Amino acid sequence: MVPATQVTAGISPPGAQERRRLYRRILFAEQLRYALLVAPLIIYLLIFYIYPVASMLVRSFIGDGGFTLEYFERLLETPVYWRVFSNTVLLALATTLICLALAYPLAYAMSRASSTRAAIMFALVLLPFWTSILVRSYAWMVLLGRSGIFNDWLSRAGLIKEPLNLLYTPFAVYVAMVYVLLPFMILPLYSVLRSIDPSLLRAAEGLGASARQIFFHVVAPLSKPGVAAGCLVVFILALGFYITPALMGGQRDVTLAMLIAQQLDMYEWNFAAVLASMLLFFSLAVFFIFDKMIGIERMFAR
Amino acid sequence: MMGKTSISRRGALALMGSAGMTLAMPAVLRGRAEAAETAQMPEMTEVPEALKGSGVVRVVGFGGTGQTAIREAYFKPFEKLTGIKVIDSEGSDPNKVKAMVETGNVEWDVFLTSMATISRLRDQGDYFEKVDLDLLDTANIPTQNYQEYGVDTHAFAHVIAYRSDVFPEGPKNFIEFWDTTKFPGPRTMPTGTGGFAIPPLVAAVIADGVPLDQVYPIDIPRAFKSLDRIRGSVSKFWEAEAMPIQMLVDKEVPLAIAGSGRVVQLQRDGVPVKISWHGGNLVNNSWAIPKGAANAENARKFIAFATLPISQARQSFLIPNGFVNRAAAQYIPANILAELPTSPGNIEQLVPFDYLWWKKNKPQTERRWNEWILQ
Repeated sequence: MVPATQVTAGISPPGAQERRRLYRRILFAEQLRYALLVAPLIIYLLIFYIYPVASMLVRSFIGDGGFTLEYFERLLETPVYWRVFSNTVLLALATTLICLALAYPLAYAMSRASSTRAAIMFALVLLPFWTSILVRSYAWMVLLGRSGIFNDWLSRAGLIKEPLNLLYTPFAVYVAMVYVLLPFMILPLYSVLRSIDPSLLRAAEGLGASARQIFFHVVAPLSKPGVAAGCLVVFILALGFYITPALMGGQRDVTLAMLIAQQLDMYEWNFAAVLASMLLFFSLAVFFIFDKMIGIERMFAR
Repeated sequence: MMGKTSISRRGALALMGSAGMTLAMPAVLRGRAEAAETAQMPEMTEVPEALKGSGVVRVVGFGGTGQTAIREAYFKPFEKLTGIKVIDSEGSDPNKVKAMVETGNVEWDVFLTSMATISRLRDQGDYFEKVDLDLLDTANIPTQNYQEYGVDTHAFAHVIAYRSDVFPEGPKNFIEFWDTTKFPGPRTMPTGTGGFAIPPLVAAVIADGVPLDQVYPIDIPRAFKSLDRIRGSVSKFWEAEAMPIQMLVDKEVPLAIAGSGRVVQLQRDGVPVKISWHGGNLVNNSWAIPKGAANAENARKFIAFATLPISQARQSFLIPNGFVNRAAAQYIPANILAELPTSPGNIEQLVPFDYLWWKKNKPQTERRWNEWILQ
């Protein structure tokens, strides 16, 4: 061992270089292996995701006579699109906040429950997930209709004389959207709340903190990444909602996705692309803001 | 990204439509059975020599019970009598045709669409092969129902439908449909932005006193003023054809503007609903051939075959859609004939869809509708 050291010490510079080269080669092989592992996914995304999105973006700039800003001008000139856009954003925002308010206590209870009870609660949360969104929206139509189950109960209880208009109102849209999107909020919240070390809570308790203080000073800050992840997912999904507002909404419940469908009905692909880009860029912007504020990695890491 | 998901979501709405049709399927079969007591479905025994051929033709329809009907009405006798094999598929969509032609990968030889769509796509480019008017039964098909690039077939009407248990004598026309004192209760009618063929503006101007033959060109401001009057009583401007039908069944509304074919199926199912044809909007589906279709020649023969009197009668026999070939009426049993929009006595009360007017004015009316609906 000693002679070896002496020998290598003598020719130290070239040896170190060689080692570095070898190390680099191993590193490269390692990277290549990872690259090959993710290659199928990358190729899949390129063909089936990046390419369609890119061609959609291109379409919003290309008219009959080549490059044009005509479609974007149309967007700027028509205030109704902006109103629908802001309606859509407000709807998504409200849905997100309602989901958060409903999901947080449930996720918290799930994270503190025994594993059997947590499993049962999990199953109940996930069960509707396996049913088509169309069927679920339709189920709400049956419940909320003028001769539906709720109105039936209320009139039998003598609370109302005339059936209430529940269906085809913004209320129906909120109910159904929150219902559909709730699991997307519960899951990341549960995941984060579950990973909070219980000894921290015990420590806080031991130091004399009240339940309220424990929640606001320990649990809430530690669950921030889960809140952010849930909100981000629910908000972005809610932005693109089409079926639920179209089936259950009232006269004014028009969302941007419905306007896109209208344009496609008229084979106006370019303008549909402009509206779709609007949604896409808005979603990206929200994503970017969340990334800056919380950090996407923290949000989805465990 | 959004464009793509949006299509599939619209697909889902369409799916709901066909789900509605599937629910109504027993009614179709029952209607057929009842009709069978009085008459048999007409059979064709021979075709003109010019329609015979070989090879295949790839036909795409809209799916659902409509597809079942055209399979029985056209595909089977066509294969037997002409020697051309039909490869049928579902989900005809002009957006797909557009993409197929643009990418040179045309998978269909003939597809169901509408004159409005043909006209609109032709403004955007060269998406169609010509049909063969020499093969066509032009003696019995009205001239407005065919042109170089398309031939009309099944006719649909959007008409007044009402629950007869709520109103034994319902509104006879749109003036009465708009009358909320005589006919109180929520209504449903099509949205002003859904597709091309179902504009509530026609109903609106008729409700305001415009005679049927003067509906076009539509006085747009007058139509919206008329809609202002009824708006408070409209619980839903529907997006998919199945919606008004479901709302009638659920008693969500006693009054609707809905597709006559689906309403007839409700009647056959025993739901107490009645139709008033007056002022209804008459629109046809059309056959067209995508540019570059490999079997365009067979497609031309198929279109000619499918619009022959007996073919058309078979289709109306199986599903309560109208026919385009006037000579079909003599092959259809009287009880079925009375339920069809194109029967003598009904068709005179309808307003044919003026697709050229709509092509020109749709962007404007759509924008106006969107502004109006958000008010």
